[in-house]
Amino acid sequence: MTNRRALSDQHPDRSAHSPEPATATVSPEGVVTGWSEGARRLLGYHASDVVGRTAADLLATVELSDAIGYTLTGSREWSGTAALRHQDGHRLDLTLHCYPSLDRNDAVQEFLVTAAMDAPEAEHDQRMLEWAFTQSSVAMSTFSKGSRGWRLNPIASEKAATGEQRADEGFLRHIDRVAQHAMPLRYERRIPVPSTGPGTGPVASAESGPGTGPREAGSEARPRARSSPQRAWITEMWPVRDPVTGEVRGVATATFDSSEEHWARQRLALLNEAGARIGTTLSVTRTAQELADLAVPRLADFVSVDLLDSVLRGEEPVPGPVDAAVVLRRVAHQSGAEGVPEASVDLGEADTYPSFSPPARCLATGRPLLSGTDDPDFVRWIEQDEARSASVRGYGFHSIMAVPLRARGITLGVAVFVRNRSSAPFERDDLILAEELAGRAAVGVDNARRYTLERGNALTLQRSLLPRELPKQAAVEVAYRYLPAGSSAGVGGDWFDVVPLSGTRVALVVGDVVGHGIHASATMGRLRTAVRTLADVDLPPDELLTHLDDLVTHLTSDDNSQAQEELYTGEVGATCLYAVYDPVSRMCTLASAGHPPPAVLLPDGRVTVIGLSPGPLLGVGGLPFEATEIELPEGSLLAFYTDGLLEARDHDLGVGLDRLCEALASPVPSLDVTCDAMLKALLPETPDDDVALLLARTRALHADQVAAWALPADPAIVADARAQASRQLTAWGLEEIAFVTELVVSELVTNAIRYGDVPIGLRLIRDRSLICEVSDASNTAPHLRRARTYDEGGRGLHMVAQLTQGWGTRQTSRGKTIWAEQPLPGN
Amino acid sequence: MGSERGEPVAGVDAPVSGGGGARMLGLLYPPAGRGRLYTEMQLAFIGGVAEAATIHGYDLLLSPSDTESDPSFRRILAERLVDGLIVMEIRRDDDRVDHLAKAGFPFVTIGRNRRADETSWVDLDFAGLAAGCVRHLADLGHRRIAFVNRSEQLFHSGYGFAHLGLEGYTEAMAELGLTTHAYLCDDAVVAGEKVLERILRDDPATTSLVTMNEAALEGLYRGLTRHGRAVPRDFSIVGVAAGHWAEQVTPQLTAAEIPAKEMSRIGVELIVERLTAPASPPRHVLLKPLISLRASTGPCRPVPGSEPEPEVSEFPDIPDFPGSDF
Repeated sequence: MTNRRALSDQHPDRSAHSPEPATATVSPEGVVTGWSEGARRLLGYHASDVVGRTAADLLATVELSDAIGYTLTGSREWSGTAALRHQDGHRLDLTLHCYPSLDRNDAVQEFLVTAAMDAPEAEHDQRMLEWAFTQSSVAMSTFSKGSRGWRLNPIASEKAATGEQRADEGFLRHIDRVAQHAMPLRYERRIPVPSTGPGTGPVASAESGPGTGPREAGSEARPRARSSPQRAWITEMWPVRDPVTGEVRGVATATFDSSEEHWARQRLALLNEAGARIGTTLSVTRTAQELADLAVPRLADFVSVDLLDSVLRGEEPVPGPVDAAVVLRRVAHQSGAEGVPEASVDLGEADTYPSFSPPARCLATGRPLLSGTDDPDFVRWIEQDEARSASVRGYGFHSIMAVPLRARGITLGVAVFVRNRSSAPFERDDLILAEELAGRAAVGVDNARRYTLERGNALTLQRSLLPRELPKQAAVEVAYRYLPAGSSAGVGGDWFDVVPLSGTRVALVVGDVVGHGIHASATMGRLRTAVRTLADVDLPPDELLTHLDDLVTHLTSDDNSQAQEELYTGEVGATCLYAVYDPVSRMCTLASAGHPPPAVLLPDGRVTVIGLSPGPLLGVGGLPFEATEIELPEGSLLAFYTDGLLEARDHDLGVGLDRLCEALASPVPSLDVTCDAMLKALLPETPDDDVALLLARTRALHADQVAAWALPADPAIVADARAQASRQLTAWGLEEIAFVTELVVSELVTNAIRYGDVPIGLRLIRDRSLICEVSDASNTAPHLRRARTYDEGGRGLHMVAQLTQGWGTRQTSRGKTIWAEQPLPGN
Repeated sequence: MGSERGEPVAGVDAPVSGGGGARMLGLLYPPAGRGRLYTEMQLAFIGGVAEAATIHGYDLLLSPSDTESDPSFRRILAERLVDGLIVMEIRRDDDRVDHLAKAGFPFVTIGRNRRADETSWVDLDFAGLAAGCVRHLADLGHRRIAFVNRSEQLFHSGYGFAHLGLEGYTEAMAELGLTTHAYLCDDAVVAGEKVLERILRDDPATTSLVTMNEAALEGLYRGLTRHGRAVPRDFSIVGVAAGHWAEQVTPQLTAAEIPAKEMSRIGVELIVERLTAPASPPRHVLLKPLISLRASTGPCRPVPGSEPEPEVSEFPDIPDFPGSDF
């Protein structure tokens, strides 16, 4: 064969398998007497060159032993190899046959020499090729460019009979492309396996998955039933050239069944997608829905996801498989048809699954299972439920897989995959895939469940720590909002409060504990309680913050000494703004511990940010807090907030403040509407940080609700004070409580004159109750809060306490005030 | 309120026995305003009396008589147009009161004069109010307290309140060992401004004043503003005034209220008592309203440059260090 190739290589225009054999006749003397055309073609000599010469001249080497045969030594017929020399000088190793040509006397007249050109072998090879082509297990075909004719091997013909490739335009286009560009291509396509069902006409679409070679941009026209049986084919195409001219004469193809590989790839793609598409959120139902959406229609025609009720309630489910009949709640389902008409249970509804039903069985074993109409349990289960059996009959469901959703050893629920009559039954491979998908979904669901549980706990804690209903007070009209942060950060430590103080004043508080989660909420709760307690003592804002600061410092050191191993060991970073508004003087006194200042909308429409000394953060210690006093016209609207409201969008406090002022200034009918409008204007859809907003519109008590008098430190004035109070109550139409009021006035005034310093003042406030206040310049608070049995002093206050609804003292910048409150008659 | 005051007669009328049966009360009330117009306070009184009289089943006849010789006064008496009279704006020596007492005509007075023991009256403790104003300022640490009275003309005509006010001021200042600076002032805004000029000229270290003069109040405020004294930071004012006057200035005036309504109500009660029980002894009601705290008084901040006042008296006086600013 090598020789032949050498020949053909040398003379590409001469076909090696020419029809004429190379023959020559040689006389017994060894002289060439005859020379055929075949011999000329083989060795390049024309007859005229050779005839008459000795044959030995043609030999390449005389020394070669195998050339000896040419000396005719008794042998009558001979065959062997010999090295001959071509006219152009190169050596040819040929098999020579030498037949003696005898005369009548049996004497050798001459020798007929044929140079065997391996012709029989080449022919054999040719036949082998032919056989191989026809008997190939691979569908092969050739396409002749000239005749545009096809030659198919039988298996390809067989396939062709099923209505495949040559009717396929894409295929033909590829063939043309191969023919034109003379480069190999791969063509892939899927063909539905002809089945008994209708609607499964030939579907040929190019594969759009990863692969090699150019491909058809697959149209995504896949209305349904990707799960229906298909075969995938890969056709390799290569150009066939004339070896001499290099011209492309046609195209050859070999087609392989790649169904297995295709499905394996599909499964991998599905799993890959599952990783990206299942569990994108921390929502239980969303995760379940993602599983259903992913599996339909590629794995099943209908998928339902049901969870144990306990999972949805956020409880910790019992570890391990679930026994017996089980109540499951439908969380998600999906089907190829719009509106999921197949579902026999609505979303959110619960259904009981008898212990023999495939879903219950799979929950009991904790293993996925295949079932279908050939399973008596399935049939029994379906027959029990009318809706279910109608659905199964109507849609021709015949094959199901029930796969438990298990994560971390806990069974959460079950996913059921169903195929209808247009699809083939599930196979074991499908079960493995479904198990894998369900596993991923289960982890997602479990994460979501745990997150929901923890977030729910933290939110509950926070809500329980925030005021649910603000106390009634007349000083300000309030509206408030608390928004927890978006899913990523968890609950935070923002808080606010409204604390009624004596003398119809009110404390407005807003604070922020740095960080998120339970710890922040708990700290917030402690701070809020502390502020309430300190506010109850009626401390001025700057002093209150000083006490709160001490408290936070102690909290921090407590935390560090008690729970070193706790994850959270950081400082308690907290801010607080404490404001006291007095509707009588219309003065608002504010102090801040590192909290952003409130904005105020004045009745004339101007909006300003109240200039405050920002103050140190709570827990820093050592630095003083400064109180700021401002007078507010009646109807001013104060906006207290936490930094989450400002930083949400642009992370710039200045811009945030401007926007806040703008939002505050827009006219709206009510405080609640203002709250909503401000949040909407300032916050993105899901805020990064939690936000507290407290709006307070100030009221003012007018001259007809307040009366105040100066009293000299003269015991004789007590009677005048009683009379004056009585006259005032008459003017207010409150004669009914004049008696008690006179007693209270005389008691408190006497005390002030006896123990206090001038100036002494008496004040009556008629609001939700009647408040009687006596103030003096002495800072020594009466510590006789509770008179003991044998105490001489404090009796009067004891009486005041008995007669009134409440009493107390507060320190002021100019002394102290003792107050007592009585309900108004008729209240 | 004074212990002399009886419990107010509540609500409905007492039976009427005497009189001409006209069930008419007379109110002698000369207008005090410029151009002989009734002041707002007077109108409030008149309204209050009419209202209270109606409650007791009487109607009201108003006469601006200020002397016994007034034709209106004589006519009322001669023709017995009313059952009884309430006499207002009485002077120390008032011939109307003398004449009525002599004639035995039932009457009561608002305010008292030399005949106070013989007549039924309701009065404000003006001396007490003025003294109370001084004490209030003293409680706040003020030591230089001026007094602004009513007009010279009214004072010399023997107007009771003006004299009583000055009396109370002087007594209270003497009690505290302080120097008095009392001024008469016409009932007008301009006069108020002028008086303030005088006060600050006489003693620039003055930190407070008591005023009896409502009409001059705004002038006093203006004068203070002109001198750069902010009320109540640099200067405190306390007065005796009706509520609405006190509330009309900014900052609102801390003042002893003149309880006009209360006084007119009691006045009517007293005359009705005289009519129903002529034999009963005369009753006296002295009202002592407290000083209503508003916004015009504050702790004393001595005028810079004036000598420091000893704040803590328990310590023995230490002689000032020479050259010390403090």
